[in-house]
Amino acid sequence: MNHSKQDILEVLNIADNFTLAMDEEIRQDGLAGSLCGYALELNQTPDINLLQQRINKFSQQFPVALSSLQQRGKRFYWCKREKDPELFFQHSCSENQTDQFFQKETINQLINDKHNREDLLPIEFHLIKSSTQCCFFIRWIHPFCDARGVDLILKYLCTEDTSPFEQKTGKPLVNQQLDKYSWWEKFTLLVKGKRYIQSIDKLTSIQAFKNDQPPQQLNYSIFKLTPAQTEQVSQLARKKVGLTGTSLYYIACLMRALDKLNPEHEGDAYCSPYAFNLRKQRALTPLIANHVCALFAQAPRKIVQDRDKLFDHLKQQNIQVIRQQLDYAFLPLMWAGSYLSLDKYGKILRLSSKQKERSSFWFSDVGKLNIPSHSFLGAEITSIFHLCQVTTPPGLAFLCCIYQNQLTLSYNFVEPLTSSVQIEKLHKLVLAELLEEA
Amino acid sequence: MKNKLRNFIFEELIFVADPKQFSDEDNLLEAGLDSMGIMRLIMFIEDNYGITLPDTEIDPDNVQTLHALEQWILKHKNI
Repeated sequence: MNHSKQDILEVLNIADNFTLAMDEEIRQDGLAGSLCGYALELNQTPDINLLQQRINKFSQQFPVALSSLQQRGKRFYWCKREKDPELFFQHSCSENQTDQFFQKETINQLINDKHNREDLLPIEFHLIKSSTQCCFFIRWIHPFCDARGVDLILKYLCTEDTSPFEQKTGKPLVNQQLDKYSWWEKFTLLVKGKRYIQSIDKLTSIQAFKNDQPPQQLNYSIFKLTPAQTEQVSQLARKKVGLTGTSLYYIACLMRALDKLNPEHEGDAYCSPYAFNLRKQRALTPLIANHVCALFAQAPRKIVQDRDKLFDHLKQQNIQVIRQQLDYAFLPLMWAGSYLSLDKYGKILRLSSKQKERSSFWFSDVGKLNIPSHSFLGAEITSIFHLCQVTTPPGLAFLCCIYQNQLTLSYNFVEPLTSSVQIEKLHKLVLAELLEEA
Repeated sequence: MKNKLRNFIFEELIFVADPKQFSDEDNLLEAGLDSMGIMRLIMFIEDNYGITLPDTEIDPDNVQTLHALEQWILKHKNI
């Protein structure tokens, strides 16, 4: 008992538990768990010695990066390992492989790498090199940190003076937000949150792909828009959904594209969960752990089929959710859920009262990334994309980011439920919707 | 009014290293005020000033600086 407490570095926070429950669900599907990726495509190999030094400094500053995720009793903790592991790995392309194939294949292997939860490193840094390409790939397990956190870790690695990233922020932001409420307000929020979920569950979610075969692996397709197309999308997003929900434009376009791809699929509505960050915008801390809460965008099929009505519907839904404080209502639910077994919590998060999957797809919009292109340790960043594992169903996660005025769309999909050919068809429909050419 | 808005924005929504250096004419959108932040700011204004800001007026011109925000609020306070 004493030994089990001595090696504990951190307890998982409420939002970490939320992502851990999804890790368990993905593992139960036979996939690798809640692994995420952040890829930087570079114009040349960066200064490897400097990169190694910065990674070492990061792991000394944040020792949880070297830890093992372990269950002690009912709770999960980041625990110290007997020996500090290596976090930095290099992969070189052999002569008999093409550069493009090598990068894609290596990333595919990393994102599908199956390990026991205890053995898995919270975060790993991979440099994937070939004669013409270089890619710096960060892979992490979601309970360790959220996408904004990895963005900050990347900035930490690119910066000589790391002191702004090391300021203590006290309790996790989910707890700080919850502390703002009295017990009565928490209870009221809990009831609001439960009612919010019940209202979502009145409509059965349409599934993007038929779930009639066992999941085998995650695959991904990346599509980059030109700066001119990106500008056109930004202008249309501003026009259609205004300032109150730019991400909703992407969600709406994907809903319409899915409906055009599979108009015969059963269900009443498209529904997508999306996380919002509790960090202040442009804040440089905290790096580690999850500081997010969740919301849903839901639209009945009939509304999805009318483009203008759909934008207006999602915009009004979002405004009402924030006006009624339903955005924070998920926090007490997450707190209560963190006391459940992972299996039970995961099922509650995913399934409606009719035991049907609540999500038609997963969505994340990282927004505009403000990392200078020339800042990566002697190399220039040419593009950035994100990856994440997803439960099956829905078997599709749609991730967006803008870097150097280029919108990048990352489709993460589970095979054999769908294929890259099918995703290409889907992307053509999404692009037409985004550019209002549909 | 501006101080109250300023405190809310820099304590809850946007991180800037030195808020005192952020002028009333500096661009809040460029400083990181996002869609979620705008909605929270509107909620804060409505709760604190007893006004309703119409959704149709949620426009960059009304939220991009502290000065513009103040003018927007005053317009509705005086109705």
